[in-house]
Amino acid sequence: MNETVVLKNLHIKDGKNTLVSNTSLTIEKGDIYGLVGESGSGKTLTAKAIINLLPEGLKFTADEINVAGKNILKASQNEVTMYIGKNAGYIPQNTVFFLHPMIKIKNQIADGYVHHMKRSKAEGLKISLQLLDMVGFENPESILNFYPWQLSGGMRQRVNIAMALMNNPAFIIADEPTTALDSTVQKQVMELFKKINGDTGISILLISHDLSLIKHYCLKIGVMYAGQIVESGYSKDIFENPKHPYTQLLIKMMPTMNIKKNEPIPEIKGFVPEKGRDSQGCLFKERCPFAMDVCGISVKEHNDSGHYYRCNLY
Amino acid sequence: MLKYVLNRVKSSLVILLVVSMITFFVLMIIPGNPAQLILGTDATAEAIEDLRIAMGLDRPYYQQYLGWLLDLLKFDLGTSYIYGEAVTSLIIRAIPVTFSIAVFAMLIATITALFFGILSAVKKDSIIDYFSRSIMQLGTAIPSFWIGMVFIVYFGLRLKWFPISGFVPISSSFAGFLKSIALPAIVLAIGETGTLLRIVRSSMLDSLKQDYMDAARIKGLNKWKIYMKYALRGALIAPVTIIGMQFAKLAGGTVVVETIFALPGIGRLVLTAVERRDIVLLQGLVMFITTTVIFITLMVDLLIMTINPRIKSVERGE
Ligand SMILES: Nc1ncnc2c1ncn2[C@@H]1O[C@H](COP(=O)(O)OP(=O)(O)OP(=O)(O)O)[C@@H](O)[C@H]1O
Ligand SMILES: [Mg+2]
Repeated sequence: MNETVVLKNLHIKDGKNTLVSNTSLTIEKGDIYGLVGESGSGKTLTAKAIINLLPEGLKFTADEINVAGKNILKASQNEVTMYIGKNAGYIPQNTVFFLHPMIKIKNQIADGYVHHMKRSKAEGLKISLQLLDMVGFENPESILNFYPWQLSGGMRQRVNIAMALMNNPAFIIADEPTTALDSTVQKQVMELFKKINGDTGISILLISHDLSLIKHYCLKIGVMYAGQIVESGYSKDIFENPKHPYTQLLIKMMPTMNIKKNEPIPEIKGFVPEKGRDSQGCLFKERCPFAMDVCGISVKEHNDSGHYYRCNLY
Repeated sequence: MLKYVLNRVKSSLVILLVVSMITFFVLMIIPGNPAQLILGTDATAEAIEDLRIAMGLDRPYYQQYLGWLLDLLKFDLGTSYIYGEAVTSLIIRAIPVTFSIAVFAMLIATITALFFGILSAVKKDSIIDYFSRSIMQLGTAIPSFWIGMVFIVYFGLRLKWFPISGFVPISSSFAGFLKSIALPAIVLAIGETGTLLRIVRSSMLDSLKQDYMDAARIKGLNKWKIYMKYALRGALIAPVTIIGMQFAKLAGGTVVVETIFALPGIGRLVLTAVERRDIVLLQGLVMFITTTVIFITLMVDLLIMTINPRIKSVERGE
């Protein structure tokens, strides 16, 4: 078994409204997989579907969701909760309230460990001290006695990372782990991920707006648009030979700027569509410089030895 | 923490001083001569004037106020005209009655509201949620005097489970005490549960949506552990504040319920003082109620500081 995560044909709906469709991705053991896309393209929802954390009210279907060797679609809800709790970690997009603001770090960091490993809280805190040390705190004991709001954003994110690693999981999701941080801290946190990945062989799903960051850290990437992965494969292939017009535009504008949250990309006219995501045609059609009539009806899927893209140009 | 408490006590004293002035002067302006009230309509003008002077009512208002304030500092609230007894001892006798029903009413309301509020938030739109929402509607819509009457007729007169009036002190019989306060406490609780339940439910719903719930869920913890440790913890501030306000309101005397059940509590004392123009008693009661409310509010604020440590540091200016 060489894949840590296999996701096949994910669809997520909010009532009748499709949010994510036809999305598949595979993360090999020890890889850092980058998921890139504009705000609202469905990155967080896709990630949350993998770890059984979708917000209430959203419904999903998939052919397979396999995490660390277990197809969680075939397990009971309780089993999944236990299994994911033990084998996966999640580092959030927004650090402000991810740690409970009214509970001291020491009273929340070891909960999962105590629950899954059936150990005492003291043992849990011992492990958390090691992890806090590993994520770069000089004085881990004092961190444990803080409330989350007494820490800076970068410190909170490092506590989140330590907390995600408590059970020694096979897989973690880092959802835009550095958006809330300033650029020096951003670099530290990213280097930390790289180090953890190198040291432990943990697989990481790294979500970001920032194409240059994804290019720098990820072996494989997926480009998301309007709830679909429109192109995926080895980072090298995609950056050297982007197929989808959306990817091409993203790469073209990459050196000048990152994709900012909630701002339209100036060189790509229009916005990510919120409606009509269940269309059989190409969802990028409205903004695509090469759009053809057929793009409104159907879209061709290609797979050149692992380089996947959906576009009628080829 | 200590500094914060001292600051709060200081500002509370200022509030009390202002309240004391307002009550004193407002009640002074109200027409009616206390000496006349005491002696009755048959008394001669001379006798009334003598008593007025003896009571110090001929002095300038500010002197009367200062005298009253000095006595107040010695916990001497003066003597009630109608009872001919020290106001302080009248209040001390009424406190156990009013506080017992207030405490029991809030206990019942809190337990019911927490139980149904948490359940209905966790199981939103289930049968239990609809049931809880009906409790909210009914609790706020039904007037307490009507419920009180119904209870007296049914549980008191028909089933004879509870006495329909009077108060049995805890010292004379514990079971008797419980029975004597049960009906009034339940009636009061019905009035408060609806509001409190609504607050618990909406705070819980809000807390369940917070990011820290994701953190708790991804740890794979047991559902109820997640609800009780993480969700409830994040949802407590508003309910505790409301409980404090409700308790303060009830502890200041509940005129309607005390009247219906003939309980000799603070509320009844207020009613009598107003009806019979006992200004000294009324002044004393207003001061007592204000102090109680301020004290309870302070306690609630301290409690909230322990629930939400962040407020502590903000108040301290950290
Ligand atoms: N709980 C929800 N109910 C309904 N719609 C939702 C919900 N959560 C997200 N959505 C919608 O789903 C779409 C995808 O959201 P998602 O959070 O996955 O985007 P994202 O790619 O992570 O964006 P960002 O970069 O801003 O984090 C958005 O259009 C969003 O409005
Ligand atoms: Mg997101």
